[in-house]
Amino acid sequence: MFQELQDKFVNNFITDDRWKYIADGLVTTLQVTFFAVIIGIVLGFFVAVVRSTYDKTGKLRLLNALCKLYLTVIRGTPVVVQLLIIYFVIFGSARDISKVAVAVMAFGFNSGAYVAEIFRSGIMSVDSGQFEAGRSLGFNYVQTMRYIIMPQAFKNVLPALCNEFIVLLKETSVSGYIALQDLTKGGDIIRSRTYDALMPLLAVAVIYLLMVIVFTKLVNILERRLRSSDH
Amino acid sequence: MTINRGDTLIKVQGLHKIFGELHALSGISEEIHKGEVVVIVGPSGSGKSTFLRSLNLLEEPSEGQVIFEGEDITDKKVDINKHRQKMGMVFQHFNLFPHKTILQNITLAPIKLLKRSKDDAEKRAMELLRLVGLEEKADAYPSQLSGGQKQRIAIVRSLAMDPEVMLFDEPTSALDPEMVGEVLELMKQLARDGMTMVVVTHEMGFAKEVATRVIFMDEGQIKEQGEPEEFFGNPKDERLKEFLSKIL
Repeated sequence: MFQELQDKFVNNFITDDRWKYIADGLVTTLQVTFFAVIIGIVLGFFVAVVRSTYDKTGKLRLLNALCKLYLTVIRGTPVVVQLLIIYFVIFGSARDISKVAVAVMAFGFNSGAYVAEIFRSGIMSVDSGQFEAGRSLGFNYVQTMRYIIMPQAFKNVLPALCNEFIVLLKETSVSGYIALQDLTKGGDIIRSRTYDALMPLLAVAVIYLLMVIVFTKLVNILERRLRSSDH
Repeated sequence: MTINRGDTLIKVQGLHKIFGELHALSGISEEIHKGEVVVIVGPSGSGKSTFLRSLNLLEEPSEGQVIFEGEDITDKKVDINKHRQKMGMVFQHFNLFPHKTILQNITLAPIKLLKRSKDDAEKRAMELLRLVGLEEKADAYPSQLSGGQKQRIAIVRSLAMDPEVMLFDEPTSALDPEMVGEVLELMKQLARDGMTMVVVTHEMGFAKEVATRVIFMDEGQIKEQGEPEEFFGNPKDERLKEFLSKIL
């Protein structure tokens, strides 16, 4: 029994350096997630500011309409379809484009829509009296947003934001659709070589789980720090 | 009927405010002079808060002008933020910044807007905190304070900008009864020190004792005004008589 497990382990991970599929895949997954998160935050922040500025002041009508269109399209279609369209249609003629770059774009663009709505709900959740207090002191709209509204909004949405990044990390597992060798694909390749599904897929699952647990821990620490003002 | 005390600080001309169907202000013209303590009373929905909030354009008038220190601040070309720095405002619900300490609440605007150094701003803030007896709360957060303390800090936060006029929007309405006194006491002290004040309140005692002028608003208009003695002792407007009989 124990011998059998050991043989399987060796066959799945050691023979032909198969562990490298997992290790390289992990690096790719982390790369895609990291840059997609950055794009998602920047894009989401921008869209949220445009949308809530329009809601509060009626300015930026055209930009607001564009943002709404973006939100509707992105949230209304599956991320796999978006990934395929970006790879095979938008960059269809550019065969030498890096698959990592395409995945970063697709997942970042996708995540931006969800982050935007998270940020917007955060901005809206700050009491309007805060905005009035800022303006009455003489802060302009941008300063009020920066010094008074955003810090509170960010604190309010941190759990939802953290959740979005966990979703994003796991969502990158569909990168295999454009033959990008991410963590999931790496495990799957091993499976196709060894005809053993349990070991490689279990390893992949455990790695995702560990990453999520560590990330959640880090966010909890940050949340506790930010909460120091509500005793 | 207007009592002149020094120069005109705020002049309001033909002010209207319409919220959809509601005519909240219908044609108000009034002057606030330096050193005056003007108390505005009236039934709820009479437009008194809207009027007060129009003075620093938190409520943008639908029609009419607000002239502050000789400049028409309803003019779109005017930088309203510069003028608001000189018009302190105190709200019913305090609106302290919950993510900042008391000291940071007070020093944020002076540092960012008046470009004071952190040291100067903090020194001034501590002076003001001592004045209201809350210097030991400097490093506390708003959530650790009682309602009365929060409102006194909110007043201090406005004072830190060295305003020309202070606007109070029902400053004691959200307070537990035992905390009303401490806030009114601070406001009285400000009045004694010569601060120009416009106060929307239901505290008739404060109006009688401190106001240089009391204004009665109803249905978006100023129906009657005068010195407190005359205003409370010998009201003429029927609605005012009715209002006073209910409230006193």
